[in-house]
Amino acid sequence: MQTAPMPDADEPRDNATFAAVLNALARPGTVHEMPEPGLLPVALALVDRECRVFADEAALSGALARSGASVVPPDLADHLFLSLGTESAMAQLLRAPVGSQLYPDQGATVVAPARFGDGPAVRLAGPGIRDTATLSLGELHADVWRVRAGLCRYPLGIEMIFVDGTRLVALPRSTTVTEG
Amino acid sequence: MSLATLTRPWQAFSYGFLDASAKREMRRKMIKAVAVPGCQMPYASREVPIARGWGTGGLQATLTLVSPGAVVKVIDQGADDSVNAASNRRFLTRVSGARATLDTLEATLIQSRHRVPEERLRADQVLILQVPNPEPLRGVEPNMSRARQMHADADYGRLWLTLYEQIVRSGRVMQGASYPAMVNGRHVMTPSPIPRWDLPKLNMAEHLTILSAGREKRIFAVPPHTRVDPLVFDDVPYRVEDHAQLTCHRSGLTGFFMNEIPQDDGTARHEVSDSHLGVKAIDAAEIGETWYKGGEMQP
Repeated sequence: MQTAPMPDADEPRDNATFAAVLNALARPGTVHEMPEPGLLPVALALVDRECRVFADEAALSGALARSGASVVPPDLADHLFLSLGTESAMAQLLRAPVGSQLYPDQGATVVAPARFGDGPAVRLAGPGIRDTATLSLGELHADVWRVRAGLCRYPLGIEMIFVDGTRLVALPRSTTVTEG
Repeated sequence: MSLATLTRPWQAFSYGFLDASAKREMRRKMIKAVAVPGCQMPYASREVPIARGWGTGGLQATLTLVSPGAVVKVIDQGADDSVNAASNRRFLTRVSGARATLDTLEATLIQSRHRVPEERLRADQVLILQVPNPEPLRGVEPNMSRARQMHADADYGRLWLTLYEQIVRSGRVMQGASYPAMVNGRHVMTPSPIPRWDLPKLNMAEHLTILSAGREKRIFAVPPHTRVDPLVFDDVPYRVEDHAQLTCHRSGLTGFFMNEIPQDDGTARHEVSDSHLGVKAIDAAEIGETWYKGGEMQP
């Protein structure tokens, strides 16, 4: 009987990060723990030379390029790493691909930093949520939910993954966000 | 960066068999599958060391999710001990170091061919269904491109017609396994050939279900708390198989999905399809909360 192959250093981190992302998307609004903090571990679990990425931060952009992904403008990217606090980030978010009725999978995945438990609370409803859930995220532009609603015309839309240190929350396109 | 940091100690194959790039592709597609429940997402479907059609889709999903701390259960038509289930289970544990179990309650990853366990799945469990034919429209539209367009248009008229024709011809819906179901009110999926008995278990469930077709290179998902509505006419209610009154001749269990065992004298005996549920009953071990009680699906 052979023993199981040893995981390399990246494998447990990528595996646990993806488990957090998948659980967060399957249960929108719930907080999940990743082994390492920041946007980069999420990127490393998902992105490689088959991807086109955009990041508004030069350091992250460099790290993404080293994964083999092509760094492209936001309207061509399948993964976007944005700080959604500014007017210019809103403009970039608006350009994110949303897929098509034929290929909804071509909608982008947007990864953004946020401060959890801060900022105005929004109500969430949709698949993965038993009744309704609430979510409050700080460091986001006031228009972010309006822009997201404009992009997410189900089954078209974007997936949003918010990261606060090692904690992570995700909103798939199927989630309806109600403000106020 | 130096050559040393890029070089890894030699191993016959990667952890979990799939290489890092294959796993990332699976992850990206699983994310999209969960985001658009019931919508078939194309994926590359790498080679795994079993023939396509024997659970390669399920294996790739399980191999992507598995970690040394995972507990894996593999089911084939309800049984843990068929050749296909045993081989897949042995392969999974060998390449991942994960522990194998036969007990539904213990497992964290449950890969299944054509059955959903009778014991209720929890939020911390993932069900991975092996799918031979992911396209519910194949019977009415063999052209994949046109079928994709029909999904885009939510054009499911011909599926309704199929069900209508069955009722006209036979007086009832004849569709047994793979009963078409509307997911999240938008995409019709085939739930893989699980019996009608099992389809209500996916509706508003606690667990995540991933359905993966390796040969056909399509993956789709049903997240927890998602509506899965079988296609039914208002005046012809959904009916599961008439197994509510059947008793297993080995374990004495009543009110679960049964396998029919033909006897030499022309009669038939029944034995419970979820093999480990039967084993638990024989051992008088504790059986978890079940979906069906007294042969009735519980909300």
